[in-house]
Amino acid sequence: MYHKKRIAIAVAALFPFVSAAQNLSGVVLNQQGNPIANARVKVEGTPFSAKTNEQGQFQLSNLPIGENELHIFAKNFAHRHQHVEIPKQGLNQYIIKLNRSPIEVIDVVASPVHLSVMESATPVNVIAGETLRQQQAATLGDSLEKLAGVHTNFHANVASTPIIRGLSGPRVMIAQNGLDVGDVSRVGPDHSVSSEVSTAQQIEVLRGPATLFYGSGAIGGVVNVVDFRVPVENTTQGEWLLEASSVNDKKLAAFNLTTGSDSVAFYADAHWREADDYKVPTAEGKIANSSEESNGFTLGSSYLLDNGYLGIAVEQFNREYGIPGHTHGEVESDAEETAENVYADLEQTRIQLLSELKLANSIFNQLNIRAASTEYEHAEIENSSVGTVFENSTQELRVELHHNPFFDWKGGLSFHYKNSDISAKGSEAFTPPSESQTFAIALMEEKHFGDVLVQLGARADQVELTANQVLLPELAVHAHSDETEEEEHDHDHDNSGYTSVYRVEQKFTPVSLSTGFVWDFTPGYNIGLSVSRSQRAPSASELMSFGPHIGTASYEIGSLFNFHQHGDETHFELNQQPVELETAKNIDFTLRKTQGDLGFVFNAFYNQVDNYYYQTATGLYAEVTHDHAEETDEHNHDHEHASELPVYLFQTDDVVLHGFEAQLAWQITDEFKTSLFSDYVRAKLKDGGDLPRTPPLRLGTQFSYQTSQLNAQLDITRYQEQDKISDYETVTSGYTLVDANIAYDLSLFNLNTALYLKINNLTDSEARVHTSFLKDLAPRPGRNFTAGIRGYF
Amino acid sequence: MKSFQLNLLAAAVSAFMLSACGDAETTIVEQDPIEVPEDDHDHDDGYSIESAGRLAILASDSNEALIYDLDDNSLLGNFALTYSSSSLSSSADFRYALISTRAQDQIEFIDGGLWQEDHGDHLHAYQQAPTMSGYTLNGSRPTHLVKHDGKLAVFYDGNAETGEVASVQVVTDTDIANQTQSLPVLNYSVNMHGVAEPSEDYLIASIRRDDSLSTSANKVLPDQVGVYHLHDGEYEHEHIFEQSCPDLHGAAQNEEYQVFGCSDGILVTQQNGSEYNSAKIANISALDGLRVGSIYGHHELESFIGVASVHGGGAAILVHINPHDNEMETIDWQPQTSAQPLAYSFTADGEHFLILDNQGYLTLLSEHTHDDHSHWEFDSRIDISEQDIANMPEGLSFSMTISQNDHIVYIADPIAQHILQINLESGETTGEIELNFAPKAISWLGIAASEDEHDH
Repeated sequence: MYHKKRIAIAVAALFPFVSAAQNLSGVVLNQQGNPIANARVKVEGTPFSAKTNEQGQFQLSNLPIGENELHIFAKNFAHRHQHVEIPKQGLNQYIIKLNRSPIEVIDVVASPVHLSVMESATPVNVIAGETLRQQQAATLGDSLEKLAGVHTNFHANVASTPIIRGLSGPRVMIAQNGLDVGDVSRVGPDHSVSSEVSTAQQIEVLRGPATLFYGSGAIGGVVNVVDFRVPVENTTQGEWLLEASSVNDKKLAAFNLTTGSDSVAFYADAHWREADDYKVPTAEGKIANSSEESNGFTLGSSYLLDNGYLGIAVEQFNREYGIPGHTHGEVESDAEETAENVYADLEQTRIQLLSELKLANSIFNQLNIRAASTEYEHAEIENSSVGTVFENSTQELRVELHHNPFFDWKGGLSFHYKNSDISAKGSEAFTPPSESQTFAIALMEEKHFGDVLVQLGARADQVELTANQVLLPELAVHAHSDETEEEEHDHDHDNSGYTSVYRVEQKFTPVSLSTGFVWDFTPGYNIGLSVSRSQRAPSASELMSFGPHIGTASYEIGSLFNFHQHGDETHFELNQQPVELETAKNIDFTLRKTQGDLGFVFNAFYNQVDNYYYQTATGLYAEVTHDHAEETDEHNHDHEHASELPVYLFQTDDVVLHGFEAQLAWQITDEFKTSLFSDYVRAKLKDGGDLPRTPPLRLGTQFSYQTSQLNAQLDITRYQEQDKISDYETVTSGYTLVDANIAYDLSLFNLNTALYLKINNLTDSEARVHTSFLKDLAPRPGRNFTAGIRGYF
Repeated sequence: MKSFQLNLLAAAVSAFMLSACGDAETTIVEQDPIEVPEDDHDHDDGYSIESAGRLAILASDSNEALIYDLDDNSLLGNFALTYSSSSLSSSADFRYALISTRAQDQIEFIDGGLWQEDHGDHLHAYQQAPTMSGYTLNGSRPTHLVKHDGKLAVFYDGNAETGEVASVQVVTDTDIANQTQSLPVLNYSVNMHGVAEPSEDYLIASIRRDDSLSTSANKVLPDQVGVYHLHDGEYEHEHIFEQSCPDLHGAAQNEEYQVFGCSDGILVTQQNGSEYNSAKIANISALDGLRVGSIYGHHELESFIGVASVHGGGAAILVHINPHDNEMETIDWQPQTSAQPLAYSFTADGEHFLILDNQGYLTLLSEHTHDDHSHWEFDSRIDISEQDIANMPEGLSFSMTISQNDHIVYIADPIAQHILQINLESGETTGEIELNFAPKAISWLGIAASEDEHDH
């Protein structure tokens, strides 16, 4: 990997920078003719960009003579694309006027094609800056849940993962700076995502199939956490934050700092958080084992070149969090009394190597290299002894080459390599150790045909999944029914010790294709349409699992196996059906009003997924022993508890997901803004029946008041009842959450410092999350006051 | 709208491409299977464990006991013992090996590592490495160990010379695991060579009367049987059976009766709640002046087998004792010339009675019913040693132990220095553990087949 990188740098150095070109200077103004500061003017298809000063002025040099396409964007304004003809003598006094957009528009970074809430064929959310800080929570899913189309699988404050349009787990990829985050959060809802939001700069969410950009694991969408841990600038700037919350006695401190001199830039960040069990407005009082402690730091450094940068960052992330609901299948009514002290101890070390280099040759104009090596481990600890240890060792390399406009087509090629070694050892190791290796090549292109932007993409992956020790034990199972109740306890649980062992090699070649357009059919409006076909290789846990999974309180069996019933006896055996790729065919329609005092984005989608891997209840129950090492006396006594878990088998079926997201924002005055959003997804099997844990219909509204000193929001979000449920689920009641926050700018010592107060769940309502595995055990926290101070410098 | 048309074209092209498909290829190679892993973290997820069990072996030449795994005949551990001249047996539920040293007033325990616990709705099996237990029982001259229904009654004879009195302690496997410090106890006021049969909260135990009243010829032998009921950790006297039992030695019980060997016959006692009955089965003439000194019973059998022999060996007369019909009759076990029985045992299922003799033969008896009357008859004989028995080391003999979960008997041969595993159904030797020492005694440990003691 490192070797390849050196070659790339050498290649880049071969092409001298073009100097025979002209200047462009001008000013960016709003519709009232006032200058806009900090607006970015970018020349499309080239690496050139400039930022406006307080007077709205900008200057670009070395531009190619002739037609250039500018992309201009600024906070609270709609992005603008403008063609400019640059004459030989250059162009001065060029005026650009931007329209207001009440919906915040931030571009997805480092993509060969345009991606933003307003401009792409596929739907995108990006949050950054103040908004990100307001919404950040201890876990990733909870931080993003106010985005349209994104729900959380709320796991009692300690772990949560985003659900995008009803899909989650192995279908939603969590990336950091475009590379797999390298944890084991995709295989268990109680496994935390090893990415910290409080030190991130921007979070990008691609809703719907995004395999084109991220590969097989992103069939349902992507969450990309962007940070500047590998610094790209040497100006000294940073951010710090201190806050405390009442509901769980949380304390958080975080900072990040970028500095440097000449051609060397440095970055450092750290965070520390500690939270106790949180209070709930229900009989439980407090949710046992929902406390958390995490800390981490990053050191990064870059070498800044004339044509880009090359940098490295090393980060350490540690987290200790409770595992609530560790009840072995039985739902305990009084969680607090019976819960054991069960927690996970997570540790991750990640090294990132990033480089973006502008090239000046006839074919390519930009080379982006991203590489990461991640060592992840988390141990589940019960009464001070280690139960199960999960490990993930991932190495990844992505090389992107953006080409010069070719017949006005802009875009790039991307090469991707990833190797992951995942293992789980211990009593709850339900998936055998496996290694997966991916090679991929992708092409993404876009072109403006007048008012229409066409975006195309294709990607082919080769995924090799190898497991040397796939185990098929003889499992004693039984059915529950009233008539057989008597008999069942007599029958001999004959789990004789014969375990079949297989070496399994899977080779997949998923292919993804996508096409779409955005048509500015009338000024200030556009419609987008995107059609895609994406494929996903099933994950190791979906194929090869065979064991108890405490996080989901079930006995999980992968689709490589099937069962057979001979009279009263049930035997598990190898499935004779071929292993299939999961294939999603998705249509997305978008209607947007991109500028003016009123803006909206409306998305509707229809996604048909063939060979959708999902767990079906077999109606069987497996007896499970579970060790709890307890020190009862000087003789170390191993105490085992047993319980039974329902057996779930991974099967494939065709499913259909359809739904919509709507966002609307109205800037009533300069200070007052109101926004509305709603999302809905219906997820059902083609042959009838609903998928489990599908988010309910949601309606949200936000009133915001903003002056230069004061910033206040009131959010009211209504979650409707969910009664479209699968066989083994129950209906979840609707609820309304009211959140408020206020921030006051102190401007102490000439620094940008703000005091803030947040109130979550103002009405102290009982809120049970339908998408949560702990729905019955852990409702959302009760009323929570958070006070904090943050500063930017 | 030229551009829009182009776009439609692009969409059409890609729609065509959508029909292209990916590929999946699977290779599965079966590897060697895993059978009964040792580590209980790996064992599969039921409650039960399939295991042949473990074998405790007492070495003759050193103060050492060894535990073997009977699934693969591998040595799991060896344990140094405090004293030599001990005898070996097992705890009531076969989890522990008992090392009893009468002369040193002590019983030690080795945890065989295989056991099950009653978890209410199911029996939960465990499999661990064997360990020496730190638990010991101490009392004056522990002699007769009687097991019944999960309870082991240890009879301490006491010692007239030192003025120590007799007592009984009742210990379960759970007591040994928990190292229970105060076991249920019966304290006598004299010493005696007695016996006690545990039965739920009761002890049916021998009583030594004042020598002036005792009908025993040998006064250290008791001549009465009483019922003792457990209250606050102590067995309290509740009843004395009417019938006496002069020179009481040997006892057994089944679901209904307790039987005791007396010089004038067999004392049969019965307890139904607060109702107590006793009867005497008179000695038959075939005993030829001998008396029954040891009795064997099986909880599933109505009748008992008694052994009358000259103290210290000699030809043995076996009798079938039927307490229901108040009868005794001899069993012709067709002994070889000069065969002296060394050990007797019912098989775990009660189908056979085994007699191991000093000539290297194992005799199997089985029960036959004629006209509603059961008899025990000679069934077969297995030659268990090819050695010349003249080479038997001084003080040693063949010994045996019965598997409680299979039709298997294990025979220790001190001459050949091995343990044979013999299938009782086929009479074939199905396994062998070779030793580099002469085994003194062996005892099977493990989880007994579930149908017996746990279903009442």
